[in-house]
Amino acid sequence: MALMPKRVKYRKSQRGKMKCNAARANYVAFGEYGLQSLEQCWLEAKNIEAGRVAATHYLQREGKVYIRVFPYKPVSAKPLETRMGKGKGEPAFWVSRVRPGAILFEVGGVDEELAKRALLRVAHKMPIKCRLVRRRRTVG
Amino acid sequence: MDKALVLKAEIRQHIGSKDATRLRKQGQIPAVVYGHKKEPTSIVLNAKSFREGLLRGHRLIEVEIDKKNETLLIKEVQYDYLGTDIIHVDLMRVDVTEMVRVTVPIELKGTAKGAQEGGMVESHTGNLEVECRVTQIPDRITISVKEMVLGDAIHAKDIQLPEGVKLISSPELLVATCHIVAEVKTTEELEAELPAGPEVITAAKEEPEEGEAAAESKEPKESKEPKEKKEDKEKKK
Repeated sequence: MALMPKRVKYRKSQRGKMKCNAARANYVAFGEYGLQSLEQCWLEAKNIEAGRVAATHYLQREGKVYIRVFPYKPVSAKPLETRMGKGKGEPAFWVSRVRPGAILFEVGGVDEELAKRALLRVAHKMPIKCRLVRRRRTVG
Repeated sequence: MDKALVLKAEIRQHIGSKDATRLRKQGQIPAVVYGHKKEPTSIVLNAKSFREGLLRGHRLIEVEIDKKNETLLIKEVQYDYLGTDIIHVDLMRVDVTEMVRVTVPIELKGTAKGAQEGGMVESHTGNLEVECRVTQIPDRITISVKEMVLGDAIHAKDIQLPEGVKLISSPELLVATCHIVAEVKTTEELEAELPAGPEVITAAKEEPEEGEAAAESKEPKESKEPKEKKEDKEKKK
């Protein structure tokens, strides 16, 4: 298992609900280009790792990849061929709660064409629809 | 950008989220005008013309409010969750000769010498806070990184600002560096570094208390019972 928290308060968590859209972390903050989610999902640690590997392999140590999501939520599952009951299952994997508008990955230090291609490869690894966004000009 | 964007504006009679949503659907943007110790005024702007002006780099707009022409500085622009549509604008009343503090974007230009040696130029901050006259607000601050070699860094104090523009951000603010990109770790290397599972904070607190209590309560019982049983068995024999 690749990404997971180092310390947690409780081993298991309730499922929760995902309402509304991303109110924060919905703009490119570190790099120049980003991958924005258009749907909501529980993004698994393995998806994030697959995205990281896809981007870094393509960029060949040219630019920098920023991961903007972290799988902090444990998801429990019961073993196969087990009867119902006997309490909640053991934590099986870790997820990040992604809302529409959230920036998942960012790329910096490369030109637009290369960043586009790298982020397209990352988008293919994601279980949701995504789109490429540029850093917004700040006013004020 | 010296010239101000001229826009038509109307005073908003009804204020609230429902009316703001209705206005946005009609192709308008709700905005607020404040400053110069006057009462804040809620106005409506045309979305298309405001957006076009913003994209061209306009910072100043001129609008007619209550039959009075006012020069306004775009202070803040709020976007929707996808960052595509403008949902609200903050406008500040200014005089043409007034000094204002604004945030100006930084643009790195050129290919660094260090990049040819296997390094990359990393931008650490995208904006600079500066003070200048309203009419002298720079569109962007362009920094040439052509002369940067590996290990070089550009700080805010190193940037040559246009005339009449004063730096407000910390002079030591790191703007860009040229360095070698760290070797990318494989999944296996990352897994080896990370622990198998996370440490549970609440479990760590409970464990010693339970363990001590259990040890105290169990010890006498375990030690007594087997002895008594053994003695009984021996007597029976």
